[in-house]
Amino acid sequence: MNRNILEVTGLEKHFGGVHVTRNVHFSMEEGEQSAIIGPNGAGKSTFMNLLTGFHRPDGGKVVFAGRDITGLPPHKVARCGISRAFQVSSIFARMTVVENVRAAVHAQMRATFRLFAPARAIGAEETERVLALCAMEDKRELTAGELAQGDKKRLELAIALAGKPRLLFLDEPTAGMSIEEARSTMELVDRLNRELKLTVLFTEHDMEIVFNHARTLTLLHRGEIIVQGTPAEVRSNETAQKVYLGEHHA
Amino acid sequence: MIVLFALVPWLPGEFWTHVGTEILIFGLFAMSFNLLYGYMGQISFGHAAFFGIGAYATAMLFTALKTSAGDIGVAEFLLSLLAGPPVAAAAALFIGFFCVRLTGIYFAMLTLAFGEMLFYIVFSWYSFTKGDDGIQGLLPPAFFQDSDNFYYFTLAIVILALFVMWRITESPFGLTLRTLRDNQRRAAFLGTNVKAHMLANFVIAGTFAGLAGALWGPFSRSVNPGLLGWGESGIAVFMTLIGGAGAFIGPIVGSVIYTMLQAVVKMYTIYWPLTIGSVILVIVLFAPGGILGIVERRLRAARPEGGTNGGDPVAGAGETESRQ
Repeated sequence: MNRNILEVTGLEKHFGGVHVTRNVHFSMEEGEQSAIIGPNGAGKSTFMNLLTGFHRPDGGKVVFAGRDITGLPPHKVARCGISRAFQVSSIFARMTVVENVRAAVHAQMRATFRLFAPARAIGAEETERVLALCAMEDKRELTAGELAQGDKKRLELAIALAGKPRLLFLDEPTAGMSIEEARSTMELVDRLNRELKLTVLFTEHDMEIVFNHARTLTLLHRGEIIVQGTPAEVRSNETAQKVYLGEHHA
Repeated sequence: MIVLFALVPWLPGEFWTHVGTEILIFGLFAMSFNLLYGYMGQISFGHAAFFGIGAYATAMLFTALKTSAGDIGVAEFLLSLLAGPPVAAAAALFIGFFCVRLTGIYFAMLTLAFGEMLFYIVFSWYSFTKGDDGIQGLLPPAFFQDSDNFYYFTLAIVILALFVMWRITESPFGLTLRTLRDNQRRAAFLGTNVKAHMLANFVIAGTFAGLAGALWGPFSRSVNPGLLGWGESGIAVFMTLIGGAGAFIGPIVGSVIYTMLQAVVKMYTIYWPLTIGSVILVIVLFAPGGILGIVERRLRAARPEGGTNGGDPVAGAGETESRQ
């Protein structure tokens, strides 16, 4: 019996006069792998920003694992076990790959205020686990800012995985990747979901990836949920065809 | 490097021993500044406020503890030195509380504003600070009046302070500071309380600046409001740029170059500001990583497997450099 790990009710957000999130009700079961789709400006990024504390909702409630996290700042949301990876890789450019991961592990362990312990000795096991998981061991000593685009995105995912989050948000995880890189990245995401029971929510423009890797879909349009359901249900929905899928599968 | 420093008093005459002491004290001050700049990625133009507050705290306690004849016991002298860092830390906690809310140029301007405010308070509050007269007669106990002894005493304290600083930069806290330098938003999404770490580092940097200031009073036998001013803050910036912000020991290397250059140039000309201005110009234009940035690039070029380049001004060289 699954229970909802994420429960969003009546979420509202305005930016000035623009109503970017309208009465969104959304929930995820533990272990689910789900995608949010919708045209540009539909409010996908805003929705993720509202869930991770980057924006404060104007109304509504976000409950994660039974805890009300509405309006918490990002670092507190992250400490609850919600992690996110960004569309444009957001890494620590002047640090090496292993330092990037190590710092992320420390943040999750809440070890960042340890002033005198040597950094490399703290969380070493978890750092190695994450490097191995993302197959980045051979690049460990490279400076993050000098990696190839695909590797930057992989590192982006790696630091999001530090400290074993329970819920992972991925914003366009394959954007800017070659077909080969995109395939291996999504294989990794599937594996995290299947083997590590990580709940995954991602946005994606590539409909092939969406239909192949998400078990449930949510279509956002102008800040509202148009339809929610399995890929087959969403594909056969008329409104979905009109506002979004039509332009891809015409 | 420590050996070289230990040999300074063997040079003929007291002059170079004095220069050496100045190198150490200002080197420590610049090192504390670099915790903010090189590690946390924020530039402070008001860091001398903590140097000056440390100097005044020590000077005031020193004055209160000395006998009417003007002598001071060793214990009282050491006690007065201990007053500098905590008072500077308290000031840094108060000022930092406001400054860490901002980043970039706004952070820099707010530190400058607070620094100048404190300068003005010390400058004009005659009844408490003796205003622009400063506090004179900080003559240490007989043993420390000997310039060699005072030099070794300073060397010991500075080495100890740098060791503590080095441990901090190599700790999870130090690593986290570098994530704040590179990408604050991402650090927050990983669970780091950005402002709390910035404030803690601001206080740590202020404490070490206060320690440097505490040593300065008995060394120069006096303190004056100028120690808090932006010109003094600028010295830390200059030293750090010259030596290299990306290397742990960069600022102290910068202090060696800056202070010795100043000593020599002032012997021959009155054009010191023109000279240092030209040096900074050349460094910023042609060696944005400072002297150690050049050294590091040479080392990497010499090693065939050294894949990454080190051209970035504050490139993450802290680790490789500091473990020598």
